[in-house]
Amino acid sequence: MNPIDELRAARPAHLGDRPVDERTRAAELSYAMSRPRQAQRRRRKVVRPVWRLGLAGAAAAVTAVVLVMAGNGAAPTPRAPDGGGLVATTPGGTRSTANPEGTAAPRVTLSARDVLLAAAAKADRQTERTGDYWHTASVSRSLFTVAKGGYDMVQESRHEMWTPSATGGEQWSRSQSLGARPASEEDRKAWEAAGSPEKVEVAEPGKRGSLALETETAPGKMRTSRSPLVDGDKVFWLGRNVTMKDLRGLPSDPDDLKKWLLRSYEGHDTESSSPMASDVWLFKVSAGLITDMPVTPRVRGAAFRMLAELDTVKVVENLTDAEGRQGTAVSIEERVKGGAVLENRLIFDESTGRALANEYVVVKPGGLQAGFEPGEVFISTAVLEAGWTDDKP
Amino acid sequence: MADDADRFTGMYDECRQRVWAYVVSRAGRQVADEVVSETFAIAWRRLDDVPEPALPWLLGVARNILRDNVRAEARREALAAELRAWTEGDVADQVTERIGVLRALAALPEDDREILVLVAWHGLSPKEVAQVIGCSSAAYRVRLHRARKRLKQAMDDIEGQAPVYVRDRGQAARPPLPHVRNYTEELS
Repeated sequence: MNPIDELRAARPAHLGDRPVDERTRAAELSYAMSRPRQAQRRRRKVVRPVWRLGLAGAAAAVTAVVLVMAGNGAAPTPRAPDGGGLVATTPGGTRSTANPEGTAAPRVTLSARDVLLAAAAKADRQTERTGDYWHTASVSRSLFTVAKGGYDMVQESRHEMWTPSATGGEQWSRSQSLGARPASEEDRKAWEAAGSPEKVEVAEPGKRGSLALETETAPGKMRTSRSPLVDGDKVFWLGRNVTMKDLRGLPSDPDDLKKWLLRSYEGHDTESSSPMASDVWLFKVSAGLITDMPVTPRVRGAAFRMLAELDTVKVVENLTDAEGRQGTAVSIEERVKGGAVLENRLIFDESTGRALANEYVVVKPGGLQAGFEPGEVFISTAVLEAGWTDDKP
Repeated sequence: MADDADRFTGMYDECRQRVWAYVVSRAGRQVADEVVSETFAIAWRRLDDVPEPALPWLLGVARNILRDNVRAEARREALAAELRAWTEGDVADQVTERIGVLRALAALPEDDREILVLVAWHGLSPKEVAQVIGCSSAAYRVRLHRARKRLKQAMDDIEGQAPVYVRDRGQAARPPLPHVRNYTEELS
């Protein structure tokens, strides 16, 4: 017999074409498809200001959520143009932390709609001057569990982006990992007991084996890069790629704005083919209007008004974002694969209608968030700055 | 987007087990799921680049992941363990021959083993095998010819030995779980 034929006959049975088991199939498909496509990714690199959580992006785990964040990016603003400061608006309220050690925040009785309409009115009155570049700076944080030791760490990174107002220009970005640190005092003790490792391996819930993702406690190098605009003129992603002109010309009527946005809605998640309700989709896509996109003040106001009309959003007052700034949040709940319920919230300053942070909170642990407690913020992007400038890096 | 998802899912269903089988035959099953998972993650990212039929392309990706992430030594040890698993508990009837072939296969250099397995077990055409291993059709023919000769030689050598079944090395240390980098992240 020909040795090749003998070899063929000796093929182990389990290497035959038995179907893959359903669980593995579901896990592998969602692992792959929760990632952005390369074409989009490339586009997104330029188009979607980011937030790249290095690490969490990597963890098969949080990917879906993380990427959503990438989409809506960070939120903005430092100097309140109308003189309002980043001050608490509800005196006497219980300070509730929104950092990873945080707890669930007290719900307020004031109707969500009223709070959002008030924010819309503030947003309308924001002033703006335009410039050559729209500049955003943000700090992203993600919570993860260390594979050996079971304690939690927070990974921080800082991102900046300069988007040209003119077509045909280049978009600049600068990012730096600020390193990882234990999430709480208790975690610090566990970390120290483990010998204060400078590098730790990230646990990936729900995934067998380990892909040995690591993160370091030391800050990384700052990297600056630039790239031409996609198609020469696309600057951001808003359900679809949009030009600066599109952004500046968005409808300032909330119903029209909603219609405009929903034209890109196809019934599924912004980052995968998983089904997603239109309210959740709308919330995620429009978050960028409130947080970090160069829209006119009236469009920002319209975004608040549009959210005010969604029955599924809630408002929570007296929150502190990861930068320690106090604000009010509009939030929406999302049930994700694995049975977890997550809350996506946009924290804003009620006095100015400007956004402070975009966060994800665990409502019901499960799936990839199985290791976290209810109330824990596991992803946050705090906006340090968002405004026009004439300078580039 | 929906079309892409359909196409990808179809491709996964058609090829997943074959990619898995390829990885197992190269490096054992310990790493197989991870490598397969990364392979399809890359396929999704680069869906526009994936040709039809997709299998040779997918095998090429899996091959690169193995090469870049799993040390040759670890691959060899993992495969040795895999071969033991294939032949243990199977020591009946026609196994003698079967085991002889597998032992011969295990004794070959990795490159020979790879090309033989692609041809005999994965049913790829010569052109497709050449694509997977990244060589010309002419080079492929030469390599297959040599691999086949060495397999025959190894089979003959083994035939003279007894017992025929693979020696159990006892509870030897399991091959270390190779370090698989998160490949898709690497590409971003």
